[in-house]
Amino acid sequence: MRRNSVAATAIAGATAGVLGLTALTLPAGAEDPDLPAIAPEKLVASVMTAQPPAMAGTVRVNNNLGIPAIPSTESSGELLSNGSSTVRLWADGQGRHRISLPSEGGGTTVVDDGTTVWKWNASERTVTKYRAEARQESAGQEGSASSPHEEPEDPVATAQRMIDTLRQSSRISVDGTAGVAGRDAYELVLTPKPTERTVLREVRIAVGAEKRLPLRVVVSTENSEDPALRVGFSKLETAPQDAELFRFSPPAGAQVQQADKHDRRDTESGTHPQVRTVGEGWDSVLVTRVPQQTLQGRESGQDSEERLPGLREAAEQAGQRVSGPWGEGWFISTGAGSALLTSDGRLAAGAVPQPVLTEALRGR
Amino acid sequence: MTTTPAEAERASSPPHRSAAPLVRVLSAELRWVLRRPRNLLALLLVAALPVLIGTAIVLGGSPPPGHGPPVLSSVAGNGLMLPVATLVLAQNLLLPLIAAMVAADALAGESSHGTLRGLLLAPVGRVRLVWVKAFGVLAMTVLAVAVIVVSGTITGLVAFGGDGLVTLSGTTLPLGEALGRVALAAGWSAIQMLAVGAVALAISSTTEHPLVVLAVILGSLIVFGVLGAIPALEWLQPVLITTGWSSVVDVLRDPILAENLLTGLWRAGCYVLIGISATIARMTTRDI
Repeated sequence: MRRNSVAATAIAGATAGVLGLTALTLPAGAEDPDLPAIAPEKLVASVMTAQPPAMAGTVRVNNNLGIPAIPSTESSGELLSNGSSTVRLWADGQGRHRISLPSEGGGTTVVDDGTTVWKWNASERTVTKYRAEARQESAGQEGSASSPHEEPEDPVATAQRMIDTLRQSSRISVDGTAGVAGRDAYELVLTPKPTERTVLREVRIAVGAEKRLPLRVVVSTENSEDPALRVGFSKLETAPQDAELFRFSPPAGAQVQQADKHDRRDTESGTHPQVRTVGEGWDSVLVTRVPQQTLQGRESGQDSEERLPGLREAAEQAGQRVSGPWGEGWFISTGAGSALLTSDGRLAAGAVPQPVLTEALRGR
Repeated sequence: MTTTPAEAERASSPPHRSAAPLVRVLSAELRWVLRRPRNLLALLLVAALPVLIGTAIVLGGSPPPGHGPPVLSSVAGNGLMLPVATLVLAQNLLLPLIAAMVAADALAGESSHGTLRGLLLAPVGRVRLVWVKAFGVLAMTVLAVAVIVVSGTITGLVAFGGDGLVTLSGTTLPLGEALGRVALAAGWSAIQMLAVGAVALAISSTTEHPLVVLAVILGSLIVFGVLGAIPALEWLQPVLITTGWSSVVDVLRDPILAENLLTGLWRAGCYVLIGISATIARMTTRDI
């Protein structure tokens, strides 16, 4: 009898273990909270007036965009390629930040201490130092860095203007609520109007009900059930942060490089000399001319044995050859948009189907 | 499993109980494990591993980023990184192999020698027998991890010097805190290896061929690795014990990135629970 009860306990233990493992596969289910109804205009306005709080958070990026591997991108390449990655954020609410991109066995950390931006690369053990750009406004108004409007305007009016512009091409609504990172949030939904020729279905932004902080952005497309891009907090704590987090001194033995302004623009915007926007709203297309060097590939700076493949080679591999009255080139389709690179180096890209791209190229 | 001296005394003083005192049984098991030449050889091997890696890096420099295991590229000039880097490399196959080897000897080995019959007939409860055998696996696994870390720390400090640790986040930790981080990594890794050992023990209780245990454990680790690399089976990843192993380096971030470490602990705990429960279920229902 006793032996049986021991065996029963043991089987219960094994079952508990299996259940525990199963629990790991289930997504953390959060019930949609009950929140008072709010008009989209009010919601957008409150996001713009909200002061960015002191916080520590972890952001999960689930990328399903299907962007083919882009040559010569370093740490940002990981965020662009398919899969999920984690970003850790800290802010003291006064314009100082720390951003960390952990990767397997290494990672990148960026510390903005208010005057200088430090970038630490753990696997190369290098520190890159940027002078923070002269801030037009006094420190403490970091919120304006993320919003496109810099002139001190009434945020409510700005929000109204933004919404008016958006309304020309989209339907804006507050569609229910959601729980994100343990916080109650409103779901602000942007849907393209039927006249818009885009592959996007909707953009869904979860706005925290309490701090009015955007907590999650989900981009869905017509082609797929799964969102093409999902960026959202998995953990968020709004509390004063340790000031030590926002200080950085290069560790002993690390290589410190000073990056000048030009360099920075060069690496960050990917050496695009001139970008034009054709069309407006959801079916706007970016048209640019790719520099010869980027198109054909070049010798890599440090390691002369390795040649950075050019954009053209990448397009030849990932794209599909197309031609028309605008010329000939390679058409690359991704989860949330498409791009067309012509053989003479013109590039058109947008969240649109192929005909819109060729139209934009023809129109120049 | 730990007993205070008072408890031990109480357990050993009344002579009328037929069961042997726990401390004596456990120390007998420990002696039995540590006297095996292959186990000693394994400990020697893991002690030599960080020395080998350290020497190679001193002679040839760190592998450049993008070549070799990423965690190795930050070892040069950062001695306390070496024990953790070695741990990352060893826990892929070497440490699971040691855990499986001890677990295979513990029950299947005894069975194949015919000595398990004697143990089952002896006046020792079968549940207790499982705990004692599990203690043997625990002791050897913890010892193997400890040997790697101690050897790695000494090698790292001698070969690369350094009075602290440059974390992956670029901050510098003083020596004391850095040693604490290394110990944390060792503890976490040991628990993961115990999960392997517990499952190995369960397999060990079902067979009388120790080789079967080794084959199943190493085979499943390789299969898990393959499954983890298939995008269509992404939903399966949280269940695979191998999934979070590389996140042991997260203790070297500042502040520690605890998310994956905690999930890993939960996962390992589940495996230990399954392994031990299955072993007990099998041993109590087993005919002699």
